[in-house]
Amino acid sequence: MSSTRLPPRVSFASLTPNNLGNCQKNVHKIQTHLATGTVRKLNSVLFPIKYSEKFYNDILQPELEDFCKLVYYNDVPVGTFCCRIETSGGQMKLYVMTMGVLAPYRSRGLGSQCLDHIIRTAAAHQNPHLSAIFLHVQISNPAAKTFYERNGFKELGVFENYYKKLVPHDAWILEKEVTAGDVGEIDAA
Amino acid sequence: MPPAGIPAKRALPSKEASLFKELLNLYETRQLKKGLKTADQILKKFPEHGGIKPLLHSEKTICMKGLVLTHMGRREEGIELVKKGVRLDLTSHICWHVFGLIQKGEKNYEEALKSYTQALRFDKENLNILRDAAHLQTQLRQYDGLVETRHTLLRLRPNLRQNWIGLATAYHLNDNLTEAKKVLEHYEMTLKNIPDYDVEHSEVLLYHVRVLEDLGEFSEALSLLDVNAKNRAIIDRVAIMEFRARLLSKLGSTDDAEHTWQALLEQNADSYDYYKGFFTNRGIDLNHITDENRVQTLQAFREFTTQLPRAATPRRLALSVSTGDEFKELAESYLVAGLKKGIPSLFADIKSLYDDPQKLEVIESIVETHRGELAAPTPTPESAEPPTTYLWTLYFLAQHYSHIGQHTRSLGLLEEALNHTPTLPELHMLQARVLKRLGDPFGAARCMDEARVLDLQDRFLNTKCGKYRLRAGMQEEAQEVLGLFTKKDAQSPGADLEDMQSALFILEDADSYRRSGNLAMALKRYAALQKVYSEMEDDQYDFHGYSMRKSTINIYMNMISWGDRLRSHPGFVHAAIAASEIFVQLHDDPTIATRPSSTANMTDAEKKAKKKAKKAAAQKVEAKKAPAASTNSNEDKGIEPPSTKDEDADGMKLLQCTDPLERAAKFLSPLASLTKDNIKAWIAIYDVAIRRKKYLQAAQALKRARQLDSEYSPLHVRLIHFRKTVSSLPQEPPAPVGPVVTAAAADLVPADLSLETYNSQYLQKHSTSPRAILASAQALHILGAPVEEVESTTFGVLNPEVERDIRSAMEVLAFLKSIKSTRSEEFRTACDAKFELSTVFKSTEEITALRKSAFAPPVDPPEANGDAERETAS
Repeated sequence: MSSTRLPPRVSFASLTPNNLGNCQKNVHKIQTHLATGTVRKLNSVLFPIKYSEKFYNDILQPELEDFCKLVYYNDVPVGTFCCRIETSGGQMKLYVMTMGVLAPYRSRGLGSQCLDHIIRTAAAHQNPHLSAIFLHVQISNPAAKTFYERNGFKELGVFENYYKKLVPHDAWILEKEVTAGDVGEIDAA
Repeated sequence: MPPAGIPAKRALPSKEASLFKELLNLYETRQLKKGLKTADQILKKFPEHGGIKPLLHSEKTICMKGLVLTHMGRREEGIELVKKGVRLDLTSHICWHVFGLIQKGEKNYEEALKSYTQALRFDKENLNILRDAAHLQTQLRQYDGLVETRHTLLRLRPNLRQNWIGLATAYHLNDNLTEAKKVLEHYEMTLKNIPDYDVEHSEVLLYHVRVLEDLGEFSEALSLLDVNAKNRAIIDRVAIMEFRARLLSKLGSTDDAEHTWQALLEQNADSYDYYKGFFTNRGIDLNHITDENRVQTLQAFREFTTQLPRAATPRRLALSVSTGDEFKELAESYLVAGLKKGIPSLFADIKSLYDDPQKLEVIESIVETHRGELAAPTPTPESAEPPTTYLWTLYFLAQHYSHIGQHTRSLGLLEEALNHTPTLPELHMLQARVLKRLGDPFGAARCMDEARVLDLQDRFLNTKCGKYRLRAGMQEEAQEVLGLFTKKDAQSPGADLEDMQSALFILEDADSYRRSGNLAMALKRYAALQKVYSEMEDDQYDFHGYSMRKSTINIYMNMISWGDRLRSHPGFVHAAIAASEIFVQLHDDPTIATRPSSTANMTDAEKKAKKKAKKAAAQKVEAKKAPAASTNSNEDKGIEPPSTKDEDADGMKLLQCTDPLERAAKFLSPLASLTKDNIKAWIAIYDVAIRRKKYLQAAQALKRARQLDSEYSPLHVRLIHFRKTVSSLPQEPPAPVGPVVTAAAADLVPADLSLETYNSQYLQKHSTSPRAILASAQALHILGAPVEEVESTTFGVLNPEVERDIRSAMEVLAFLKSIKSTRSEEFRTACDAKFELSTVFKSTEEITALRKSAFAPPVDPPEANGDAERETAS
């Protein structure tokens, strides 16, 4: 068969109650105690934190559809990112709550593609206009910090005791201003 | 309705006659309310005279009124009137026709045809009645009568195409192709000025070609095809090419045929049929490649592979044909390409190659090597193969090892794959299947549930999960998941799936009931499946008219032969055999039917849930009834009887039937002609026949079974049973049956051997086969050996040299229980120890616990935080 390798297919899919998994109140309706839809499963593997039901309800809001996605690599779901819009200092900003890719699929530009998607969508976003994107990185994870800095984020400072139950407790605050030019940015991946 | 052809002396006065005509019209256009009024108007003037035959023609009005009422939903009243009308005048074609319509609506085709035949006696040339009669005759496969009816129709209306086609197909069905051909030739001669691109005409011509082909008149068929393809009368390009290729091959015009096959392959390079045709034309049978033609065949496939680079079929077929190093080379590129592409069905695709143990080995080593290469670290991640390739390789290997019985190894690979990518449903599904094979239906159900929740909108996963729950005996829970996709207003998910004719659900549910010992419900479900097949048979009816009108004849003829073979479907066969086994059980031990059913061992919670479900269902039915009360509307309720209430909700009536053997025989009856190669069917037929004292049929069944596999272990038991039964008859059945049966018994088991010797010889011959050991123990039991002897023979299954196998061990355990052996518990624990990973041999208490665990939450990673970090920051 042809030896030319096909480029891997990368695509984003919207979150739905179906790929999220049962929320607790549905668990009793049918007899399953399994609540691990694809999104929940990924989060449980990717992050050392168990997210609340409020988190899972929020990411299903229709206005966040473009900012909360599942990441497919060759048709297999391997990552996810979830953001929300926040008011901070009188300005509307996009806050990246989670972004992660399964270990075997890292260093393949998937993260950059996600971030690129987030930046471009944020730049094109109207009502409200978004002035910046920001997020937190645990200070034990300099690799992540480097990754965001490479993509135009700047460190604003350290949030002490940000993580209550994780060690170390502190987190860097990283932010990138959103400019009109970001809309047309060519796919970095 | 036809215009009424009534003898003058009995005609209605002109006013009423026109009213009656109007009534027919109103019925035709389904203006039911008006029709009823009109009927009453006639009847008011000419009421029937109690008991005395009316002088005037009111009985047909009574019939029509009955018909109208039936359509309006007042069914009983309506049918009563129709019957009354028929009684009043047995010579009225209208009355018989109406009666026939009602019977047809009830799907009682045989009786309907009788009524139509009566109607035709009094109105020989009534087109409507003739046409309906033809449809009934086709449905009932009464082809002699059909030819006659179609003839009459054609004589009466020779200008209609459908009448010509009707007669041709009638001859064809009656195995008279020559006449069919003549009819078509006559028909074509009557035609003038056919427009180009007339699809229906094109279909008729193609049918004509097929008739010629079936007659073996290939060159005539080809010239008919070519002429009409050229002048654009036949317009189905693909059909033209397919016919052409086939006819050229049959005519021996090998070169021309090869070109046509080639052209077809260029249009559809993945059609197995075309490849088969191509090679048959070269004198090569793809299923039986010989060393002489192997090289040539492979060469052809290589050419196809270059010519049609996007087609997978030539590459795949080349794998079946090739051997040795050549196979290795081809398999490597095929497998690696498939793994890179991430084709989930790759293993299913190549599995059939495993019939050849050498190929199995080669494939294993290719994929293992590939896995090793992928697992090795690469200098830069970017240059490496996409991780999904590794994932699909693990998936492939897990399937491979499970297929060859190395389940533990398979589970290990799956664990590795799940650590790699926990979000691929296929991995969880395969885990479920491996556990199922290991005899752990509960773990299997749980894994399938894990696959399901990854994507709740995937109905395939949902159905699989439902099925696995049924396999684990969790019927309520199964219906709950299946209910996520069934109609919400259905009485229950199960009821909806039954309406939708889901054979998968009906069968699995039936088997599940049977395993749990609820034979009543099991029988009910098997009967439900039987009904599904009857409905499918009935569904053919509409096409007898439709296909003639639309000239879709070739496909219609295919449907008829499909209908003839309908009950050879594995689902039906399984249900028929299973139901007959239960009926036989009921015959042998009628106390089963009166024993308290399995509800006795349900837990309180289960009982409560069941009660609640019943109540909810009852409420739903009530709610549905309410709006149906008003029947005076114009709405057409149709002529088919509405589905009746289920009189036998728990199947107890079925279980307590007085004629279990007759029912079993009826269920099995299609199998004798349709599934001649199914040895299980012959065994079931024997079991019923011998108990019905049909000795000839019993002997015949055993002979058939012996032809298929003389060493088949259930057959051994029956052979002994048969000779013992026959020889212990008080007297030989009367000639000619008796001597034949005696001779058959002697033929089946050598007469000079005692049955005991025969049995022990069989055991010696198959001393390592668990099923043979079981069979000889069962035979001992039949021969009246003491329980201890039967038991000790049975326990031979546990000998180390006997090949282990969970299913046969379960059969053995069931047998021990059925003879109430005191050692069955001992056998169960021994199996439980032997089949470490299985759960089917656990004790009742353990199984209850396991059932619960099928829903237990998976072990969570240590819970770090209760909340997301962002709850605090802003």
